[in-house]
Amino acid sequence: MLLAIDVGNTHTVFGLYEGPQLRHHWRLQTKRGRTADEYGVLVGDLLEGVGRPPIGGIAVSSVVPPLTQVIETFCRTYLRIVPLLAGPGVRTGMAIRYDDPQQVGTDRIANAVAAYERTHDATIVVDLGTATKFEYVSERGEYLGGAIAPGLGIAADALFERAARLYRVELVKPKYVIGRNTVHAIQSGLIYGYAALVDGMVARIRRETLPRARVIATGGFAPLLGGECTSIDVVDEFLTLDGLRLIYERNSDQ
Amino acid sequence: MSHGVFLAIDVSNMQTVLGVYDGTRLEHHWRLQTDSERTADEYGVLVRNLLAGASNPRIRGIAVSSSVPPMTQVVDDLCRTYLGVTPLFVGPGVRTGMPILYDKPQEVSADRIVNAMAAYERTRDATIIVDFSTATIFDYVSEKGEYVGGVIAPGLGIASDALFDRAAKLYRVELVKPKHVIGRNTVHAIQSGLIYGYVSLVDGLVARIRKENKVNARVLATGGYAPLLAPESETIEEVDEFLTLDGLRLIYERNAES
Repeated sequence: MLLAIDVGNTHTVFGLYEGPQLRHHWRLQTKRGRTADEYGVLVGDLLEGVGRPPIGGIAVSSVVPPLTQVIETFCRTYLRIVPLLAGPGVRTGMAIRYDDPQQVGTDRIANAVAAYERTHDATIVVDLGTATKFEYVSERGEYLGGAIAPGLGIAADALFERAARLYRVELVKPKYVIGRNTVHAIQSGLIYGYAALVDGMVARIRRETLPRARVIATGGFAPLLGGECTSIDVVDEFLTLDGLRLIYERNSDQ
Repeated sequence: MSHGVFLAIDVSNMQTVLGVYDGTRLEHHWRLQTDSERTADEYGVLVRNLLAGASNPRIRGIAVSSSVPPMTQVVDDLCRTYLGVTPLFVGPGVRTGMPILYDKPQEVSADRIVNAMAAYERTRDATIIVDFSTATIFDYVSEKGEYVGGVIAPGLGIASDALFDRAAKLYRVELVKPKHVIGRNTVHAIQSGLIYGYVSLVDGLVARIRKENKVNARVLATGGYAPLLAPESETIEEVDEFLTLDGLRLIYERNAES
């Protein structure tokens, strides 16, 4: 089996693949300072819970540099496997048309690879995570770059911390866009506001590239916002893990 | 200025703006940091010095909008002790001439009502006000001049701060419009997400508000980020940096009449 590990700024997601099938997945808090031994206990226990399947390989994407070494040590020590760290020198099968290809976060490339594998056409990926990231892949499968906006969760936290009279609200869609109380007004700004941000960015990217570009969404807030955005064709919660699986396969072929 | 000038004070989360009006004309304006630890005496020194620079006009009246509760007492003391005027605080009991259709009218912060009044005074039509401050606040006034309600989204400044604080590999960028929506480096990608992303949020919410109310409402913008974002927006018609001050002037006049 292949273990895919996606270390994001808020969560670290683990996926266990049998061939192209995602058999199990877990989500842990991303916590700087956590040690390889702690990951050993946590992940060891989760794997135990599914009968400790044999793991033949590991692919990792990390956008949190201090944790990359910790995850690598955990893989070597507790799973006895040298993980493939997505990054410079790793084959992705995708031409990266970025000024400095090493600067693109590996999660963004993994998303682009997984999305193009499905569409084989011009595609916009929207990752609704800690940041809201947009990637554009051309019809020929080249990664052309993207845009990065603040994520819904961190922007909402900032609103509650910094505006004196506002308080935390439940993240649910209100009935009307115009709120007649503060709770509904904030819910509207977060849900309809972020949906508008996504739809508007997609429209601008399509105008700059191809109007027919497909749109695939992923990330923690995708289930919440996907239904409200008119531009999103498909939501796939595990797009990044799937991209890591594809990158792993492309590197074991050679 | 024989009859004296009017002073408008708008206390918001980050900054406090002061405006001196002679009749309907804004003669002077200043911006101070909002710091609720600062005392009335400290604000007194600051404001007296600024007024001295404007040749110490006689102040006949003051109206205040405060969305920062701990600052309210400080400003009240400042006005009484250093300016010799009892200020009018916009809040419950103050005549606005505008019906407030909010569930609990006292829950709408003063600056929002003040903006709504100033905007309706100009348009006399259904109007959406977009205030780009700590939060990005949308207020909707019906064609009959009723304050109907609004929308509160995170502001551009606090949301971008959060991005740089919370995403390990991202760093602070200059807030300027990049050439393309698709960035080919991280600086351009973040600039695109912030500028085009926020403009999309505004234009999309305006479209949704218009659709919900079945009216092609006018759109006025104010607040610190308005000059940066409005030129890129497809819906904002006009930016007025001093909309809140102007609304305070109107409220003061309506209360003085009675």
